[in-house]
Amino acid sequence: MSALDTLLDHPALWRGRSAAPAPNAPVWPSGHAELDRALGGGWPRGQLIELLGAPFGCGETRLLVPMLAACGRDGYWIALIAPPATPWLPGWQTLGIPPERVLLIHTEHDRDTLWAGEQCLRDPAFGVLLAWLSGPVETALLRRLRLAASESRACAILYRPPNAAAQPSPAHQRLRWQPADSGLELHCLKGAGHWARSGHPLQVPEPPEA
Amino acid sequence: MGQPARPSRAAIPPEPARQQLSLLPAAATPATAPRPPETHTATRDARPRQEHWMAIDLPHLALEALARAEPDPARLQRPLLVVESSPAPRVHAANRAARQAGARPGMALGDALAVLDTPELVEHDPDALRAQLKMLAGVLLQFSDHVHPEPEAQRILVEVGRSRRLFGGLETLRDQARDTLTELGFHPRIGLARSPAAARLLARLRNPAIAEDPEALRRILSPVPLEALPLAAATREGLRAVGLRQLGDLLRLSRPELARRHGPELLDLLDRLLARRAETLPRFAPPPVLDLSLRLEHEIHATAALAFPLKRLLRQAEAQLRGLNRSLQGMTLELAHREGRTRLSLERGQPGIRAGEWLPLWQTRLDRETLPAAVIGLRLQAPRLLDPPARGNSLLAEDPASTPPADQLPAVLARLRARLGEQAVARLVNHRTPRPEDAQRPRHDLAATPDPAAPTPGQRACGTALWLQGPEPAAPPDQPQWLGRLEDGWWDQGQDARRDYARTRDRQGRRLWLYRCLRSGQWYRQGYWG
Repeated sequence: MSALDTLLDHPALWRGRSAAPAPNAPVWPSGHAELDRALGGGWPRGQLIELLGAPFGCGETRLLVPMLAACGRDGYWIALIAPPATPWLPGWQTLGIPPERVLLIHTEHDRDTLWAGEQCLRDPAFGVLLAWLSGPVETALLRRLRLAASESRACAILYRPPNAAAQPSPAHQRLRWQPADSGLELHCLKGAGHWARSGHPLQVPEPPEA
Repeated sequence: MGQPARPSRAAIPPEPARQQLSLLPAAATPATAPRPPETHTATRDARPRQEHWMAIDLPHLALEALARAEPDPARLQRPLLVVESSPAPRVHAANRAARQAGARPGMALGDALAVLDTPELVEHDPDALRAQLKMLAGVLLQFSDHVHPEPEAQRILVEVGRSRRLFGGLETLRDQARDTLTELGFHPRIGLARSPAAARLLARLRNPAIAEDPEALRRILSPVPLEALPLAAATREGLRAVGLRQLGDLLRLSRPELARRHGPELLDLLDRLLARRAETLPRFAPPPVLDLSLRLEHEIHATAALAFPLKRLLRQAEAQLRGLNRSLQGMTLELAHREGRTRLSLERGQPGIRAGEWLPLWQTRLDRETLPAAVIGLRLQAPRLLDPPARGNSLLAEDPASTPPADQLPAVLARLRARLGEQAVARLVNHRTPRPEDAQRPRHDLAATPDPAAPTPGQRACGTALWLQGPEPAAPPDQPQWLGRLEDGWWDQGQDARRDYARTRDRQGRRLWLYRCLRSGQWYRQGYWG
C-alpha cells in the first residue's frame, strides 16, 4: 500500500480526479480567486487554451489583464497576433502592462497566425501569447501549436469564434465565454480539473476600476 | 637586418656616403612613422622597428576590373579601349589586342581609332576604379594594419616591416600578396623597399630586388635612370644638361651643391628614397559598410536555387566582418535581373555575422518571394555595421527558461519578419499626443528600444480601455459611466478636441469605449473597454 502511495505521489504522474495541479506547475495568476481555483492555480503556462465567444470587446481581454501584468513584470514578452483592433497601450500601461514588451504581429491568414504563434512559443522570451482566429482551421496546425505550447513556458490563448466549439480541438483547455450582467460567464468545454466535469459556468465579474 | 655589406663599394665611394650620413643626424636611425599607441607592447622586442614598404602597382586595373565583370571572355579578345571622356577624349587603357594594333594609353582617341578596326569602347570610370582599389586595400589588410591606397596612381602601399616575421619573410609575403590579388583577377607589380618612395619606384621598374639595409638600397637604386624619378620637367632637364644619367651619379654629389642648383625638392626626394626621411602615410580605414556582389554563371529561375550562391556571399561577408571586427543586424539583398532588380531586406533581433545563422533566415525570406525574372547576379549590402557584442562574463550559457534578458529582442522576430514581411511585426510607441487615435505609432524598426513613455494626464483621463478602433459615430448610450474629460488643441485652429469619455455596454454585451464631443454633442465610439 505504501508502495502505491509513493507511486501516486510521483510528480510525473497526473491523476485525472485531482483538482489540484501538480504542485510546481507554473501559472500566471488570473486575479480572481474562484477562477484560479477552477483553473488549478491560475492560467497555466505551457498550455494551449482556447477562448470561444463573440462578439469582440465584451471583456474577454480584460479577463487576462492580471496575467499580462504579471508576465510583463517578470520581463517576458507578450505577443498579440492578428488582434481585431489596435491595443490602446497607454491604457494597458496604466493597468501595469509594460508597453515595450507588447509585440504586435499582423497576419493575413489564420494559417500565418498559427505559424507565427508557433514560432513565438518556441522562443523562450515570450510569456503570453494572444492570437485571434477568424475562421475554421486545420486540426493539424492546432496540434502543432499545442505541441509548441506544451514545450514552452508561455500561456497560449487562442480566441476563436463560438461556432468553433463544434469542431474538436487538440487544445489543453477550451473555455466558452459569453457576456453576462456583471462580467463574463465562462463555461469549460474541455479541461483537466473538476470544473470541466461539473459543467457549471463560472461568473467572473469585471474587475473593479483602478 | 644584420646582413653584412657586400664588397661592392667600388661603385659608390664610401666617403661621400658617410659624409651624407653625418650631415643628417636623423638618417642614422631608421625612419619610423608615428603610430597610434598599441596595447600589446609587451611582446615587442626593444630593437627599433624597421619599416618595410610594399608598393603594389595595378597598371591594368581598369581592364582587369572590366574582365572580372565580363561574363563573355570572347569579347575581351577583341580590341578594347577604356576611354577618358573629356573634350579631347584620350585612351586610358587598351587591352592586349588593341596594344598589338598600336594603340597606347594616353593616345588621343582619334589616333587610336585610326589604327584599330572597330574596337570596343568602354568609358573610363574613375569612381569605380577607386572603389575597386579600396576593395583591394581591404583585402590587403590581412597582411598589415597599415595600408595606404593611392587611387590616382592605381597603387596600394602596405607597411610589412612588422608583419614579415609572421608571414615567413618578405619574399613569402610578397608572393602571398601577389597570389591573393591574382586569384581575384588582378596582376600587380610589386616593389619592396625600406621607404614608400623607393618601393613605388621599384614597383614601376618591376625590380624584384629586396633591400634589407641602407647600403643595399643604395646599390639597387644607383643604376636607376633619372627619367624614372618623379621629378619636375625643369629639374630633370637641368640634371640631364650637366651629364647626370643615373641615380647613383646624383648620390655621389655633395648635398649643399645639389640643393643650391636644383632646389630642395630634389634632396627631399633622395632622402625619401633612401628612407632617411620618414614619409607619413595615412592609414586606410575600411569603409564601415558591407557591399558584396556576385555575378552568376547561369541564370537562376527558382528561389530555392539561390541558396548556394547566397551561402558563398554570406561566407564572404562573415570573413570580411571578422576582419573588420564588426557585426551586423540587418542586411539587404539585391537580385539583379536582365532588366531591373529586386530588393529584399532582412533584420534580426540580435546582431550576428554567422553565415550559418543568416542563411536559413534568407531562405525563409526567399520562399515568400516569387522571382519576376531570372536572376543573374546577387548583391549583399549592410548599411549599418555594429560593434561586436561584448562577450558574456558567465562561463555557462544561461538557462533559456530563466527570465529573458531585458534589453534583447526575441530571436524569433527575424523569422517572423522574414516570412510575414517587415511591416507585419511592430511595437507601438506612445507619441504622447492627447487624442487616442493619433497617440500611437507602430514602430517596425525593432532594433531600437523605445523609451517607455508614461501616459500623459490627458491619456489617463480617457480611461484604461484596452482596444482602440478609430472614432466612429455612435448612438448615445443609455447609462454611460463617465471616465474623464479630454481637452486639447486649443492652439490648433479648429482642430481642438474637447471630449467627455465614458464607457457603457451595448445590447450585445460589448463594453464600449465612447466619447461625446462637447462641441457638437455627438457621440463617437473610440474602441472597446475590454
